[in-house]
Amino acid sequence: MDNMQAVNSFVAAYLKKKGFKEAEQLLEDLQSKDSAPIDFHNDPELAKFIHHFSQSEDDVVRYQDGYSKLRSWTYSSLDLYKHELLRVLYPVFIHSFMDLVAKGHLQEARTFFNAFREDHELMHSRDLQKLEGVLTQSHLEEMEFARSLRQNKVNIKICQYSYDLLLQYLHKTQSTAMLGVINEHINFQVSPGQPTSISDDAEVVTLIGSCQDAANQINQKEIHWGLLEDSLEERLEKAGGLLSDSEKTEGENKEGDVDETKKRSVEGGKQGASTKKLKKDKAASATAKSARPEANTTSTAPRVKPELPLPVMPTEVEQSILEDLRNRVQLSSVALPSVSFYTFLNTHNGLNCSSISHDGSLVAGGFSDSSLKIWDMAKLGQQAGSSILQGENDSTSSKHVVGPNGVKRSYTLLQGHSGPVYSANFSPLGDFILSSSADTTIRLWSTELNANLVCYKGHNYPVWDVQFSPVGHYFASASHDRTARIWSMDKIQPMRIMAGHLSDVDCVQWHANCNYIATGSSDKTVRLWDVQSGECVRIFIGHRSMILSLAMSPDGRYMASGDEDGTIMMWDLSSGRCVTPLMGHSSCVWTLAFSCEGSLLASGSADCTVKLWDVTTSTKVPKNEEKSGNPNRLRSLKTLPTKLTPVYSLRFSRRNLLFAAGALSKNQ
Amino acid sequence: MSIVAKETIEVIAQSIGINNLSADAALSLAPDVEYRMREIMQEAIKCMRHSRRTTMTTDDVDCALNLRNVEPVYGFASGGPLQFKRAVGHRDLFYIDDKDVDLKDVIEAPLPKAPLDTAVVCHWLAIEGVQPAIPENASVGVIAASSDGKTNEQKDELPVDIKLPVKHVLSRELQLYFDKITELTVRKSDSALFKEALVSLATDSGLHPLVPYFTYFIADEVSRGLNDYSLLFALMRVVWSLLQNPHIHIETYLHQLMPSVVTCLVSKKLGNRIADNHWELRDFTANLVASICKRFGHVYNTLQTRLTKTLLSALLDPKRALTQHYGAIQGLAALGPNVVRLLILPNLEPYLQLLEPELLLEKQKNEVKRHEAWRVYGALLLAAGQCIYDRLKIFPPLPSPPGHAVWKSREKIVTAVPNKRKASMEPLEHDPASKKIATDGPIGMASAKSSPSSVQEETAAPHPSSDLDVDQPSTSEKMPNDERSVNRGGKDSKVLKKSAILNQIWKDDLNSGRTLVSLFELFGEGILYFIPAPEMSLFL
Repeated sequence: MDNMQAVNSFVAAYLKKKGFKEAEQLLEDLQSKDSAPIDFHNDPELAKFIHHFSQSEDDVVRYQDGYSKLRSWTYSSLDLYKHELLRVLYPVFIHSFMDLVAKGHLQEARTFFNAFREDHELMHSRDLQKLEGVLTQSHLEEMEFARSLRQNKVNIKICQYSYDLLLQYLHKTQSTAMLGVINEHINFQVSPGQPTSISDDAEVVTLIGSCQDAANQINQKEIHWGLLEDSLEERLEKAGGLLSDSEKTEGENKEGDVDETKKRSVEGGKQGASTKKLKKDKAASATAKSARPEANTTSTAPRVKPELPLPVMPTEVEQSILEDLRNRVQLSSVALPSVSFYTFLNTHNGLNCSSISHDGSLVAGGFSDSSLKIWDMAKLGQQAGSSILQGENDSTSSKHVVGPNGVKRSYTLLQGHSGPVYSANFSPLGDFILSSSADTTIRLWSTELNANLVCYKGHNYPVWDVQFSPVGHYFASASHDRTARIWSMDKIQPMRIMAGHLSDVDCVQWHANCNYIATGSSDKTVRLWDVQSGECVRIFIGHRSMILSLAMSPDGRYMASGDEDGTIMMWDLSSGRCVTPLMGHSSCVWTLAFSCEGSLLASGSADCTVKLWDVTTSTKVPKNEEKSGNPNRLRSLKTLPTKLTPVYSLRFSRRNLLFAAGALSKNQ
Repeated sequence: MSIVAKETIEVIAQSIGINNLSADAALSLAPDVEYRMREIMQEAIKCMRHSRRTTMTTDDVDCALNLRNVEPVYGFASGGPLQFKRAVGHRDLFYIDDKDVDLKDVIEAPLPKAPLDTAVVCHWLAIEGVQPAIPENASVGVIAASSDGKTNEQKDELPVDIKLPVKHVLSRELQLYFDKITELTVRKSDSALFKEALVSLATDSGLHPLVPYFTYFIADEVSRGLNDYSLLFALMRVVWSLLQNPHIHIETYLHQLMPSVVTCLVSKKLGNRIADNHWELRDFTANLVASICKRFGHVYNTLQTRLTKTLLSALLDPKRALTQHYGAIQGLAALGPNVVRLLILPNLEPYLQLLEPELLLEKQKNEVKRHEAWRVYGALLLAAGQCIYDRLKIFPPLPSPPGHAVWKSREKIVTAVPNKRKASMEPLEHDPASKKIATDGPIGMASAKSSPSSVQEETAAPHPSSDLDVDQPSTSEKMPNDERSVNRGGKDSKVLKKSAILNQIWKDDLNSGRTLVSLFELFGEGILYFIPAPEMSLFL
């Protein structure tokens, strides 16, 4: 009974100290009635709990330890429940801080606050700024914000399983400090069934939540989404603008030649000195700007300087690109593209990915048996593809005629990986191919030598995706280790590591001007990263499941992302908002591609269709109209069903012919 | 709380040799097991998605285990998806059927064929947004279905694109194909090649672009060639083949096709020679119409009503020729017993009165006309018979009817009447008036004595098989049958008797019984008239 009384007196003292008048009253009532005595002796948990409260000296350690453990546990929990559990962290953080302050550990409270404030900086910077000012116990009472925080419980909606997980954790680790904070300040509204979607909850209190403050906070950073100065398109426009239509074809060649020679001479002078080159390019573009006719729509877009030193393009390639640009088919909602479909037969469920070179002459497939196979369609052309490649291969076919292997195979077999190949990607010029694999490596292959050139090691887990930059030379990779990395072909170490996603980075895509990359993740967000600084500059929240595909519009303003459920979202990069979701697919959107002038978006899905979407209507409308908000602006133009063939990859050629590839699946 | 029950943990523990696992340990292990399983599934789903699949395989789970640095589960990498079987008596319990394989069999079995090597083929999925109808593309049905959806999507859109009229370009091959088929249809419809052509029409994919041309061709030829029996038949066969083709989406052309088909069913005159068996054509067309209704009835719910209206008006118009009536009856009969019951039976009595004079030798001197009348009568009998058969089928005490086999007399008067009626009718069919009462007597007596159900059984017994009562008289009366004497007086009494018995039998089911009684009255008359039909056909 002595023990009992000691406990009671301690509890009473504690409640008094904390200012819980009502509870105190209740306790007194209880004691006076002396009814239903609680058996403290046989409940070691409770005893321990009380014991902990009695010794205030290691408060600091318990709070700090408890919180950091809880934090790391939360970050490593299941993706499905993570965002719910993350909501708990912020209230626990601020209340732990205030508890420490209230108990007089001012210095320790400060260190605690500074140690973890970064986590919540994004979402709650204003609150944190206020709380920063809390220096003594008296501040807690004076400050209205703190007082309201102390007096009110935070409501957190959470699903049954998340709740169970949290309780299990707290119970197992016996982190009573955290348990106390949670019990005292958080009111859980446990709902049965599946966890809520991130995007559903307006009051999400997490790093990745959709709190408007936070979204703004991160998405307010400046983005230069304009295209690169002095791009080939620009030069072509310039050339076209100077000449009347009748003499265009003739004149263009000359103009091009002149342009080329000029450029070559310029380049000759600045080999190796990239900074100098930039300046010159800028100067060139400045002159170009003045010459450019006003009427041109694309040229009104702002131009930006490249932040990376860009590789120099061989002149004959440049010629062929210019040629392609001149012969480009103008696509619109009334002029739909032709689609050439490459069907993989007899893959025995082993095809993981496919890639098509820019001109459609090479098709690569990555297989789960670690192999990478490349088909040269120009060689197959005798039977099937001759007509298809006619228009496309005039510049490149000669280059791709590789001597026969001596084997009867119709393809080139590239072996080197030791795990399933999850991604393959041709370089913009078609001379290299990158592949990424479950063996954590990325390999660079030459399509001319049919040999492995480099093996890039850096990721610690399977590499899900790899993409060449629009100019080549650089590439980005995405991995299960929750990072995206930027590489340069000539270095075996990554140049940048983009860390921040809370789960696997599943896909990666370069911005048209090479200054940014976008990553899609299993944490259901898309992030935009600055390549130069490695910082996250945008978070796009709205998807309800894992993001599988990304595409950037050629004008650099928009991005499309496709997810597991079949939803495609169009994002405005500058505002970070979703322009509109495109609903229509019933299964995973494996691939997305913008047409070269950005008027159409093609999407390929596991539901065995290629869909064409009209994106001109939305992207070209003036700003004010866009704000008035017609969400149905983007529309599905055409659905092209395939014959039991899920569409794995799509690619518009420079002349706007759409290539698609997929594996015939017989068991559907 | 946890999906994994404590008991499961205990069972697993025992299976790996831990017998003394404490309940507490099991209780705390259970949620952890669930968590680990969720974790593995989460990773496996990622692997599945990155392998561009929508079904999870054992490889994905192995991959997930690898990611977590756990040794994979060996022995499940069979390649194909596993076949799960449902455990009997459990709703959510499945197991993998793992058969014992004899090692000897495996060793002695011939080597399996090497799997085909991966290949890439190339085709046009779309040319300027239009999907060509080639075998590599999805069948037209899928395309049409999705384009339906597309039009819905476009409806609410503000910016309206005015679509230019699409030029329908037929490939050279298709044009040749069409020419060949039409030529065969018109000229050599009895050749073996035409049969091949029909098979091709029924199976080839990629014929959809030709469908409008075929419908036009059929409509054109039917309207021009009503006198050419073989042409009409060939055309109907073409329609039949087109309907069979799974790759063709014919319903959009049905409105153009139906008039031609119905013409072949109820036209006054099909073919110009007396030898043309236009009855067969009508029968064939009736089946065709019925199959169209069956297949597209749910898509065009007005299809059947419009059709039955047309046919019924043809039937009920006394000015129409008997051939037209025949076609209408066959068409209605092919649509099923319910249609017959609802549309023909109510009109049966007045119609039969109308038909009666045509049937009688003394009143209708024209033999062709009389033959036609008998045809109509036979068709009616068949229709009503099938209808009543269908009605009676639902009575439980009936044994499975053995006598529903279609009876065909030489010129195809089909008498697939229900057993009961058959049994009672059979003796009548061959009755000379004098003997009829005598033969009927025993049946009637026997049936009156026995319980209703046994009577049913007896009457339902197949005539030719073993029923002595009925069989003997009928065989014995085969000879006198030829006399073909028509006796009205005897008939009436017999009819009364029959209906009385039947009334007794089915009085428990008044509803259908009444129908039956009225039918029997009509059939009683009909059956007597029915007798001369075989002979009449002999004349022709």
